[in-house]
Amino acid sequence: MSILDTIYAKAKQNPQKVAFPEAANEKMMQAAFEAGRDGYIYPVLVGNAEELRALAAERGYDPAVFSFVDIADEEYKQKIIAAYVALEDTHLKEKALARRMQNPLYYAMAMQKVGEVAVTFAGIDNTTGDVLLAGQMMIGLKPNISTVSSIGLCDIPGFEGSEGSLLAIGDSAVCTNPNPEQLADIGISACETVESLLGWEPRCAFVCYSTLGSGQGELIDKVTEAVRIAQEKRPDLAIDGEFQFDAAISPAVAAKKVKRESKVAGKANVVIWPDLNVGNVGVKLIQQFGHADAYGPMLQGFNSVVCDCSRGAPVSEIKGNIIISAVRAANMK
Amino acid sequence: MDRAELEQKILELVAISYKKNAEDLSLETSFKNDLGGASVQMVALVAEIENETDACVTLQDAAACETIGDLVDLVENEL
Repeated sequence: MSILDTIYAKAKQNPQKVAFPEAANEKMMQAAFEAGRDGYIYPVLVGNAEELRALAAERGYDPAVFSFVDIADEEYKQKIIAAYVALEDTHLKEKALARRMQNPLYYAMAMQKVGEVAVTFAGIDNTTGDVLLAGQMMIGLKPNISTVSSIGLCDIPGFEGSEGSLLAIGDSAVCTNPNPEQLADIGISACETVESLLGWEPRCAFVCYSTLGSGQGELIDKVTEAVRIAQEKRPDLAIDGEFQFDAAISPAVAAKKVKRESKVAGKANVVIWPDLNVGNVGVKLIQQFGHADAYGPMLQGFNSVVCDCSRGAPVSEIKGNIIISAVRAANMK
Repeated sequence: MDRAELEQKILELVAISYKKNAEDLSLETSFKNDLGGASVQMVALVAEIENETDACVTLQDAAACETIGDLVDLVENEL
């Protein structure tokens, strides 16, 4: 069973309500419909309900698969606003919130924040920046997490790592040049993401061009400081470094280069890059030379799951990311 | 709200969002160099400004402000 099959099976066992604020988009509506029809989620379409119903009928989708939330429904909106402003960790008050909720993206995230849906899925009409800003404003970051970041899940043919052919890597998409504290938070968030999505016991390696002092310089200092901060913040997690990439994932290399006890060296299932240059090049190398499938980016650091899908993504990929998000959300509850 | 009142209000809101004493802040205070702000604080600040002044400034525009004075200019333009 492939990793996606395993995740799909988990989704079917416990389908979650997923809000779609861009449901008028044809690809998004199709992905929402297929994921709902196949029993992975309960799709909730947020926007102009009359228009969305008409579009669903026109496109030949059984409307019974969807539920519709009309953003002009004042009674329901007031219910969401009252619940939202009563929460301690929210910023916006009634008037400002009502204004923001004229935008379906913010409306859906307000629903998510108060528990009406488990997750909001967007990013096909809105930009990544729009989704990240709305997520920070409406959902908020987890306590003690200073940055939004992402991980990707790579399925690498022929790779025999501690989780078979799978390896989680981050951040290859969002946080450009993290400082040591942000880098530490990326690692901590990544551990939580793989736990919630895959049920792994995370073993997280911070990588750079040095293994435990074999090299010196400011690029390495940032990574060693990040490891120190991450270990101090979350001593319960297996986080270690600094390691070179091979020392992180290869037991043979780790045996030569890591001359002390480590729960992570040689058997890391989560690899944290020092910055986005390395992360982006790294994931491209894995895809091009390793012929890997890379799933994601999965956004992390938020109080609950926030998703962004690529605007060029085909329906099959959007559907896969919807289901991954739903499983993450179910396991974070 | 006149300019002086707006300046006072923004200084108060920055102090709340960044957990500083308002007396230690001025229009010349730099977000990057003096407050060391993460995006989390800026999100809180933008929300507070929207709550208290009805000005809907975007996070991108607010994050581009070097000083509190620049932010006051931005909010004033939105009002």
